[in-house]
Amino acid sequence: MNKIKNYFSSFAQAIAKGDIWVKLSLIIMGAGYFGRKQIARGILMTLLEVGVLTSIFKVFMPYLSKLNTLGTVQREEVFDILTMKKTVNDYDNSLLILLYGIIAILVIIAFIALYIGNIKAVYRVQKMKEEGEHINTFMDDITSFKNERFHITLLTLPSIGVLLINIIPILFMVCIAFTNYDENHQPPTYLFTWVGIKNFVNLFTTSQTITFGYAFVRVLIWTLIWAVVATATTFLGGILLAQFINHEDTRFKGMWRTLFVITIGIPQFVTLLLISKMLGDNGIVNTFCSNIGITDFFKTIGLLNPGDAFIPFLSKPGWVHATIILVNIWIGIPYQMLVATGILMNIPSDQIESAKIDGANKFQIFWKITMPYVMFITGPSLIQSVIGNINNFNVIYLLTSNYKTANMAMANSHANEADLLITWLFRLTNEYSNFKMASVIGIVTFVICAGLSLLTFSRMIGGDKEGVYR
Amino acid sequence: MKRKLVSALLVSTMAVTAFVGCGSAAEETTSDSAQTEATDDGASDTASSEDAVANLIAATDGTVNIDLWCSETEAYQKVMKELCDKFEAEYPDVDFNITLGAVSEADMKDRVLEDVEAAADVFVFPDDQLEALVKAGALNEVAAQYTYDMNETDTPATVDAGKYDGKQYGYPFTASNGYFLYYDKNQLSDEDVASWEALTAKAEELGKEVGCEVANGWYLYGWFQGAGCELTENEDQSNNCDWNSETGLAAAESLQSIASSKAFKSYGNDDLLANLNDGKVVAYVSGTWNVNAFSDAYGDGYAATKLPTFKVNGEDKQVASYSGYKFIGVNAYAENTGWSMLLAEYLSNAQSQEAVYEATGEGPSNTEALSKASSPALDALAAQSEFAQLQRVGGNYWSPAESLGKNILDGKVSQSVLDDAVAGITQPVED
Repeated sequence: MNKIKNYFSSFAQAIAKGDIWVKLSLIIMGAGYFGRKQIARGILMTLLEVGVLTSIFKVFMPYLSKLNTLGTVQREEVFDILTMKKTVNDYDNSLLILLYGIIAILVIIAFIALYIGNIKAVYRVQKMKEEGEHINTFMDDITSFKNERFHITLLTLPSIGVLLINIIPILFMVCIAFTNYDENHQPPTYLFTWVGIKNFVNLFTTSQTITFGYAFVRVLIWTLIWAVVATATTFLGGILLAQFINHEDTRFKGMWRTLFVITIGIPQFVTLLLISKMLGDNGIVNTFCSNIGITDFFKTIGLLNPGDAFIPFLSKPGWVHATIILVNIWIGIPYQMLVATGILMNIPSDQIESAKIDGANKFQIFWKITMPYVMFITGPSLIQSVIGNINNFNVIYLLTSNYKTANMAMANSHANEADLLITWLFRLTNEYSNFKMASVIGIVTFVICAGLSLLTFSRMIGGDKEGVYR
Repeated sequence: MKRKLVSALLVSTMAVTAFVGCGSAAEETTSDSAQTEATDDGASDTASSEDAVANLIAATDGTVNIDLWCSETEAYQKVMKELCDKFEAEYPDVDFNITLGAVSEADMKDRVLEDVEAAADVFVFPDDQLEALVKAGALNEVAAQYTYDMNETDTPATVDAGKYDGKQYGYPFTASNGYFLYYDKNQLSDEDVASWEALTAKAEELGKEVGCEVANGWYLYGWFQGAGCELTENEDQSNNCDWNSETGLAAAESLQSIASSKAFKSYGNDDLLANLNDGKVVAYVSGTWNVNAFSDAYGDGYAATKLPTFKVNGEDKQVASYSGYKFIGVNAYAENTGWSMLLAEYLSNAQSQEAVYEATGEGPSNTEALSKASSPALDALAAQSEFAQLQRVGGNYWSPAESLGKNILDGKVSQSVLDDAVAGITQPVED
């Protein structure tokens, strides 16, 4: 709070105490520099001011002024039968209005900050002049970017990049969640507009026709279960596998390792699509199982109904969940094995030696020394992989692209039991052009992921735990 | 993935904005050059159509770029390439650059709507996508025709199917996109394929498979419609549906008992083809897109007929179907609207439809080309056509219908399942 107060009071002070050049800078931003003979700097600043102001008024203003409605003029075209030419009116494109509107607001905010900063800087120069200090020439300024202000030189491009590929898209997506952008309102031909928090209300509503609330809770629960189970199984499996391969009695270590790494080598798209075919209701695995009697065995032990003709690996809830997790273990373990191998090789041998001397057996060493060490090293990356699994699109989507839900309430909101939030979102946009609900789901996913990371990271890395293993 | 998605969305929008933002002002605003003879009618008048084409040729300078998207199959790509070459030869004074793209027809809508402004100028799409394309404003209205008049040359049903809200949007291309029953006449008799009850009984006896993809709204519709239920679309794209009526319940139960037969399968297309090649499937509901697969698998036993009947409340009811058509559409954002329209016309005229029929086996919608076409599949379609309806259904139909089909296959039909399905199908569309 104080900071903000200081920020503005020093601005006011600069205006009040500044001489004519500083006051002139309120209009022509370079004036303050001209007055101190910093001509190049003054020209640059003035050009920047002119450039930004023209772009705001010439380019952004038409969009910005429509941001409150997202456009009112719908596209209309007239086709001239005789000349075979089409006349199109000057129509509004809601998507562009939204996008340019967001950019315009960011530009304006940045410009205001620059403006205030500029007045202060000009006032600072005035004071320096009064006190007879050295005032930088243009060459001095340029060299300073190589020396004391090198961080600015270095970080300009990356921060522009972050702004362009992170901040603007996120703002854009957040905004879409508050509009009615769906299959009936698709730009460029049709307009969409603001609808407030209606979409969020829908997401948490359940009635016979609006079933988003029903579907959302179920999809969310499965997403979380999946993320935790998928991470835990591949992690444990990977460590155990690495432990086995690294064991002193294991021969042909290189060969085993290569064999497992080969599974990484084949693109996931190919393997997953093949597996989903193989595990299909009429796929090769089912044919095999019914030929050798596994299907009948499942019937006798009650896993299947007597009437079932096949094992529904990828077509019934429960079955599909188990299958997905098993397939993911097969796909995910090699990665974790590689990670674990690296860590296991770096366990300080003195700890293990001393444990041996103290008479610990192998299991105790693994459980009391190896595991805590590995957990400590991989903790942050485990959280990362939980989050990665929340958004693990490939495995789920490719395996269950043929899954059909028998649950009416799920179907009515285009979801199914095997969906993660991310695949649901994808299907809503890709097949049903329901961008508004997809954005809402996207935001909720983001909030969950961000909350999870913050919570666990602060627990894990916070305090003085970092020094424990030093 | 989310990040990727958003950025993909954004990158595409930004790319578009970069070009459109600057370009929109320059977009073909008016062409006052050729507007000398301002007459009101003249679409059917040949003299003025020729004038219009002449105007267009005169107003064209530089290369005319047209992108054309059609099915990825080799037969299609080849015949369309030939037709495009012939089209270019028709107008020797104009320099064309027609680029052929391969996009599966089932995905056409999705691919076009990804970015309407960057999509092909001319594309082939099935009639069930018409509504979504019109709703997104992606289709150019066929305001006039210059080289032929579809109302005179094509079957009225096809022309009507290309209309939406009374406006014509599609150039009729094929009329064989519906479904019917393929069967192996060496193993099944005419009586066997007359009703589903007889068909499943015979297949059980033979130890073979028959079926229909019930867990798919497109096929499921035929059963309920055949039993006498209703499914219609309102103006706001919501649906009316009475499948939870007594008749609906009886139809669902009847279908459930047919589907409970060991011989009855609900295969998706891939599974169907695999099991067909294994020699397991002796009869299946499918369409002309699989004509080669079935004729290869059945050899001299290859036959096709209308769909069988099924018993509802003790009465034999004919299973209905959706009739299907393919259209050529012109993108509303096409770079050269005039030339794109002429190309679409050329590709859908009598000679072109005949060439497409010969290359792909798909039935023409042009009456002249149709009279020269004959095959078991097309005859079966013709026999089914009196029980076939035009597909006009709102987008909320598909997911609940698919789920309902799944429930029927699982043997879980009940009044409440039907009630839920109908609630989903008829859910209101927000505006």
